[in-house]
Amino acid sequence: MPSKEELKIQKYAQDFVNQLSVVLRTSQIHDLNNVAVKSNIEKMMSHVSALLGMENIITLEVRGEFFYFNEYRMRYPLEYLLNFDFLMREFKKRELGSFIIVKNVTLQDMQTFIRAFIESPYATNPYERIEEKMKGIENIKIDRLKSIVEEDFLDVRKMVKKSYFNAVSFTKGVIHKIKSGEKVSLKKAKRVVESMVDHILEQEQLLLGMTAIKEYDEYTYHHSVNVSILCVALGQRLGLNRKMLTELGMVSLFHDIGKMEIPPEVLNKPASFTEEEWKVVRKHPSIGSRALLKLKKLDELSIRSAIVAFEHHMHYDFTGYPKITDPKKLDFYSRIVSLADQYDAMTSARVYSRVPMTPDKALSLMMERAGTQLDPLLFKFFINMIGVFPVGTLVMLNTKELGLVYEGNQIFVSRPRVMLITDNVGNRIEGRVIDLTEKDDKDQYSKSIVKTLDPNKYNINLAEYFL
Amino acid sequence: MTISDDLILAKDIIQVFLKGKKILRMYPQNNPIYMKTIEDSFNKFDDFFTYQDTLRYVFRQNEILYDTEQVYENPEKEDNLALFFFKDGLREITFRKGLTANEMEDFLRIISMDFEREVLEDDIVTLFWEKDFENIQYVVDETFLADEEDYESQAMSELEEKHKDPDNLLQAYEDAFKQEDAKEIAVVQIVETELQILFKELEDDAQDKIEKLNNILFEILISVERKNEYADVATSLIASVEYAIGKGNLDAVRKLLVRLKRLTDRQDIDGDLLFQAKRVIYFAGSEKVITALGEMLDSGQEIDEKLFDEYIDHLEKNAILPFIKVLGELKTIHARKIVIDALVTLGPKDILTLTKGLNDPRWYVTRNIIYILRNIGDKRAVDHLLKTVQHTDIRVKKEVIRTLGELGGSNVLVALRNCLDDKEIQVRIAALKAFSNISSDTVKKMLMDRIMKKEFKDKSFEEKKEYFTTLANWKDSEVLEFLVKVMKKRSFFGRSKLFENKAVAAHCLGLIGSKKVLPLLNKHKNSNSKLLREYAYTAIKRIDSAQ
Ligand SMILES: [Fe+2]
Ligand SMILES: [Fe+2]
Repeated sequence: MPSKEELKIQKYAQDFVNQLSVVLRTSQIHDLNNVAVKSNIEKMMSHVSALLGMENIITLEVRGEFFYFNEYRMRYPLEYLLNFDFLMREFKKRELGSFIIVKNVTLQDMQTFIRAFIESPYATNPYERIEEKMKGIENIKIDRLKSIVEEDFLDVRKMVKKSYFNAVSFTKGVIHKIKSGEKVSLKKAKRVVESMVDHILEQEQLLLGMTAIKEYDEYTYHHSVNVSILCVALGQRLGLNRKMLTELGMVSLFHDIGKMEIPPEVLNKPASFTEEEWKVVRKHPSIGSRALLKLKKLDELSIRSAIVAFEHHMHYDFTGYPKITDPKKLDFYSRIVSLADQYDAMTSARVYSRVPMTPDKALSLMMERAGTQLDPLLFKFFINMIGVFPVGTLVMLNTKELGLVYEGNQIFVSRPRVMLITDNVGNRIEGRVIDLTEKDDKDQYSKSIVKTLDPNKYNINLAEYFL
Repeated sequence: MTISDDLILAKDIIQVFLKGKKILRMYPQNNPIYMKTIEDSFNKFDDFFTYQDTLRYVFRQNEILYDTEQVYENPEKEDNLALFFFKDGLREITFRKGLTANEMEDFLRIISMDFEREVLEDDIVTLFWEKDFENIQYVVDETFLADEEDYESQAMSELEEKHKDPDNLLQAYEDAFKQEDAKEIAVVQIVETELQILFKELEDDAQDKIEKLNNILFEILISVERKNEYADVATSLIASVEYAIGKGNLDAVRKLLVRLKRLTDRQDIDGDLLFQAKRVIYFAGSEKVITALGEMLDSGQEIDEKLFDEYIDHLEKNAILPFIKVLGELKTIHARKIVIDALVTLGPKDILTLTKGLNDPRWYVTRNIIYILRNIGDKRAVDHLLKTVQHTDIRVKKEVIRTLGELGGSNVLVALRNCLDDKEIQVRIAALKAFSNISSDTVKKMLMDRIMKKEFKDKSFEEKKEYFTTLANWKDSEVLEFLVKVMKKRSFFGRSKLFENKAVAAHCLGLIGSKKVLPLLNKHKNSNSKLLREYAYTAIKRIDSAQ
């Protein structure tokens, strides 16, 4: 547990970054001498001096999707979300990677930086322009945004992958145990989910990548884990704390537990269900709810799980199943799970024998359902989280190259990182990852997505690229 | 070979763990021994960090290593510190310079917990995880969490098998041109007002979920198809009721009871379903629940009494005995009052059971039950109350006499009459008061007879007055004549006693309020007896002002 002192620093750091965002935004509209801007800058400077009273240096660095303050990844309260997002976008636009303030910084130093910053987006080489204008300023240093080195990722990737398959295997075990009436260790379940939560907090995109592969034989178990991952990732965007994320992760992991009573030949049937089969399928929320309540003594977690298992197909507007006499607003977690569940189900071939959709098609269908079947606000957060072109989407770029969406960009949601798999005439090439936010000399985006395709149709083994 | 100082300290800190495990389990946080242990332990860490910046231990099944040196060994299964960490998957733990006393204490508190106990739902790694230590890092091996050996490679080869045939990138490339353009999904930035909505959602979300669960379980109960499933769902409902009561959420249970009641009232209800629904309702009135309610009432926490009353309204008769039991245990008057009211509500469902409370060894419980029976006013209680007339405690006796008077009945008369000869004046007076509720001629005659008896004049003034006060209930001519006779009686012996009789007769006349007797009373206004003068005067005034 961090000490009081550390908590204080964290709080000041959050306030400082938030205020920096406010300052930069208002300075884009008003002159630096404007009263409002002036007082905003003063407020920020007071945060700066408070921080410099406790730490010798202020280092704000962009790594991947996160800000790091003096080497610690920043978490921030939800009310700062918009300002943090704004700042992240503005830093990235200018390829600004770090921003360092040392003792003795003056108001003039800061004003110089702000001017340099707001005048740079019109420049072709924004970072160089800022650098030039900041010449002679000793107390503020900047550094260029570093691209993430792929090799460093290899070990992490291995770890994340291991954690993912551990979770699937564990889920499989749990479902079998519940089915045969054996005792289930929730201590272990917690551990599995905590590990996923950690990975999502640090490596969200990697874990989201794991969920893109849907061809496993035992898809039911993968589905549970995928939904859990999607939920926790969304929960993170919604500002839930680690403990709440674990709860959400557990609850969503068990959302389909009631399916254990559906015969596998029905569940995995390659054709549409008959009326009789549908009747069986529609019972799984209620069966799941009951099974979860029997698992252990009633507590917050089991109550939550039972509620979510029961409600996850009811829909935001109660048009789904089960139908009940007096429906009340769906539980917050139920609405989160509904989103994640629909998305994962639609993009996979097995669940309810649907033809799999490409992720972007699934999302546009979900978009139509936002406000009816799905909670519109949560959907907005969901699409912000997963991106317009989620990881695993097969795409053609305007340059006629084919690629697979490799990693989302939370700030520029339609400009993910893409792994190129063919050249512009369709020849296979060795995977090179490019970033669609990259611009050319004329300050235009170099490449953009124009088409999306179903990788399964062409027998493309996503696992080869993602695992 | 010299042993380096840091190694010595690393060994010492293992001892810190072992000692901490014991001490922190035994003593509360404010105990001097506890505090001393924390202080000493922290000093060891402090010492260590003057030599090295990090202290890393590696855990194996039966040993702990610092660097490459063994600092702990234990081949046994019991009390094995190495195994204690190892079995939950911990393989390494590192303390960093900067470790705070708080962090260390939290760490020691966690390892001192009793993990063998069933109730503990977290293992040591989860507890570490929740603390999110800044200066304590650990490495875990999670393979033991998975259920089968290496599911990963199994799944991977499965995928490979599926993709035996080469992919068809060229086809994809060609098809791409025929595809419609990528769906343009307008991603809109989240705005401030939406964040506010979300805050509200998160706030609402923190509320109790039990009501929702109850609704769901109720829906499941009425929708299950197989009869043996009713019992299953009812069991969950019972657990939910217990949980809600534990949380003090009476309202959630009340709402459930309302729905169950409506269900059980239906004519077409399936027999098994009825049985199970009743089982839940009965549980809401079981000893377990009622005892918890009693504790809740006694704790002084705010209770919505209207809500409580409505809760009681929906209980069945099985709640009566538990409530009687609770009544004897409650400490606050306020709580007792609420429970008494509850029994007044529930009692009519089963008077016989309620009367069992009359035999309670605690006199005040018996008295409360009598009070409750009186408020219910069911004559079936009389036979049981009659037995209580012989109660040794006078407070109980008085209560039962009063109640019998209000309930009435032929057996009551005999019992009350016997009470008139009780050796305790309070009992006799209570009986007289009770008679004022029975307007039978028998009683009237009996009272007059007793007044006329020789011994009457030796009774205390208080008792005499009570006789005449009771007699005032019969405002007929017979009583009037009787009173006139008493007023006119003459005697040379025991004149002061005679005046007492006349004074209370005057009192009675005043109560009856007939103008006809005014001349008679006026005559006594100037009596030699001060007592009689005063009573006559008061009676006249009463009659006059009643006009
Ligand atoms: Fe489902
Ligand atoms: Fe599902």
